[in-house]
Amino acid sequence: MLEYTLRRILIALPAIFGVIVVVFAMVRLAPGDPAVLLAGEFADQATIERIRERFGLDRSMPEQFAAFVSNLAQGDLGRSTRTNRLVTEDLAQFFPNTLELAFGAIIVALVIGIPAGVLSAVKRNTWVDALVTFIALLGVSMPVFWFGLLAILFFSVDLGWFPVAGRGTFSHVVLPAITLGVSSTAIIARMTRSSMLEVLDQDYVRTARAKGVLGRTTIIKHALRNALVPVVTIGGLEFGRLMAGAVLTETVFTWPGVGRLLVDSILARDYPVVQGAVLLIAVSFIVVNLLVDLIYGLIDPRIRYD
Amino acid sequence: MTNAATETTKKAPQRRRPRWLKRLLRNPLAVLGFLIIGFFLVVVAAAPFLSPYPPADQSLRTTYLPPGTGVSWGGPEGQFGLWVSPATRSPIGGVKVDESEAYPVKFFVRGEPYEWAGGLIKSDLRLFGVDGPVRYHLLGTDEQGRDVLSRLIHGAWISLFIGLISVGIGVGIGVPVGAISGFLGGATDMVVQRLVDIMLAFPGILLAIVLVATFGTGLGNVMIAVGIASIPVYARLVRGSVLSVKNREYVEAARAMGKRGMPTLFRHVIPNSLAPIIVQSSLQMAIAILFAAGLGFLGLGARPPQPEWGLMLARGREYLAVAPHVATFPGLAIVLVVLGFNLVGDALRDALDPRG
Repeated sequence: MLEYTLRRILIALPAIFGVIVVVFAMVRLAPGDPAVLLAGEFADQATIERIRERFGLDRSMPEQFAAFVSNLAQGDLGRSTRTNRLVTEDLAQFFPNTLELAFGAIIVALVIGIPAGVLSAVKRNTWVDALVTFIALLGVSMPVFWFGLLAILFFSVDLGWFPVAGRGTFSHVVLPAITLGVSSTAIIARMTRSSMLEVLDQDYVRTARAKGVLGRTTIIKHALRNALVPVVTIGGLEFGRLMAGAVLTETVFTWPGVGRLLVDSILARDYPVVQGAVLLIAVSFIVVNLLVDLIYGLIDPRIRYD
Repeated sequence: MTNAATETTKKAPQRRRPRWLKRLLRNPLAVLGFLIIGFFLVVVAAAPFLSPYPPADQSLRTTYLPPGTGVSWGGPEGQFGLWVSPATRSPIGGVKVDESEAYPVKFFVRGEPYEWAGGLIKSDLRLFGVDGPVRYHLLGTDEQGRDVLSRLIHGAWISLFIGLISVGIGVGIGVPVGAISGFLGGATDMVVQRLVDIMLAFPGILLAIVLVATFGTGLGNVMIAVGIASIPVYARLVRGSVLSVKNREYVEAARAMGKRGMPTLFRHVIPNSLAPIIVQSSLQMAIAILFAAGLGFLGLGARPPQPEWGLMLARGREYLAVAPHVATFPGLAIVLVVLGFNLVGDALRDALDPRG
């Protein structure tokens, strides 16, 4: 297990390194003087020169990269060109909100997706199955921002059940979490269906059925326990994806998360914040995937670590 | 002679449709998907003929008109069909419909002249229009009084084009890279797969956002960005299927006969990975259209006054409570098209799966 864990971590490291390179390259590849991009378009000459000095922008690329990594290792991502706040401070403030939203969404997805998938598998090739399949396809075909707007229009503007935007109480998180969770719900429902069908087709389940020793509900219960293993994996991967997918949902609901921070910063050409947000989202995605892999090994003893 | 004749007639039915195609056409969801895509292609091909007005035509006296304002079934004297009465909006009085006048909607009406297909087609004929000095808006108007239906119709090609270009980039680069990586193995494979890992570390729309943030916003960059974002998906997919066929007997036979690596790869290995590539391309069209609309919505894609659906939705969002139809219809259009490609992709996967 230890060896497996270490190996998985070793595989994740090049990806994290690659993400750092990409983030480093973003500012250098963008049209314009990197020093101006990092200082902001309204900065005076002195500030630009100070930035050039601090990030070593007049030195060679390898030297610049070394400076970038060394700053990064000290937790220094620079300052926002709009607010002059430390990028790390911004991220620390916004990231928990994104996590909250992603958690809400994954809960929605599991609570709706798993029963829908089980129902679809048990009622295989009936109209129920076809309906679940169709709704699931509709779910992945829907632009989240459109679904969010319709939800606001109906539940907030017309019915007045939930606040239109913002974050704070539980009722604030309901609509954004459902909106963000729609496509994951669909994916989890389909995964549960196929995984359930596979288990129901196993010899031991068929034998139990033929003997009539177990009731239908018992079979489903037992089958579900085994069928859920891959579903947990997909759920974990979805969680990672949701953190990035939150960009659109956060914009629709003006949710103060990293995704919205990223988009606002791109539109304002606030490059230090853009770099920080991209780095944070990508690295957390890698870390979540790594954790999912490790947990997968723990819950399914059939996985061999070689 | 007679024998030979009967033999040929017997042989004829043997050229049946392949089994996967039969399976595909028997699936009602697949047929629905093809119908949706077909409808969409017709709309793209005949946009100015189908749309009532040019997409940028504005009228500040008819802003935010709800769908079908002034349009009614039956004429003033009980005639059959759609009739249109002039409607205006004023800041104080709101929407007013002047019911003393009414004009019929007719097929093949001459309207404003248009050029299409790069100036090859010049005409002023439209499939339907009002016969009279009045405008009609079946899906309402937006904040500048532009006809929402016309903008939707004229925006269709943008979505299709984005899908095609980005799938083209994904297939054009991802397939050879993945194939070579899987076929050669060793250090090449190692390096390529680590690069793919890095690209996949930017989940979903994030990679496209990073590229647009770096190289600038706008429709052209969005197409390229969404295309690049799909490269790792194809590379992984093709590598996997190349690995699974690489050691099959017919490939080894080709090698044993002295065929060199690359020709073998392109003659024997890639054609056998075609099924998953086709399935993925249909699903990827759907993803690309969604991503591009998302970028348009975020203000990173198409720019006004382009009738791109995501952008229209974003504009509509600003006055959602006043004129919800402006945001609703572009969203519906996106759902429909994306659903079409997803239905086809999904059904293709089932049909091509040999276990099915």
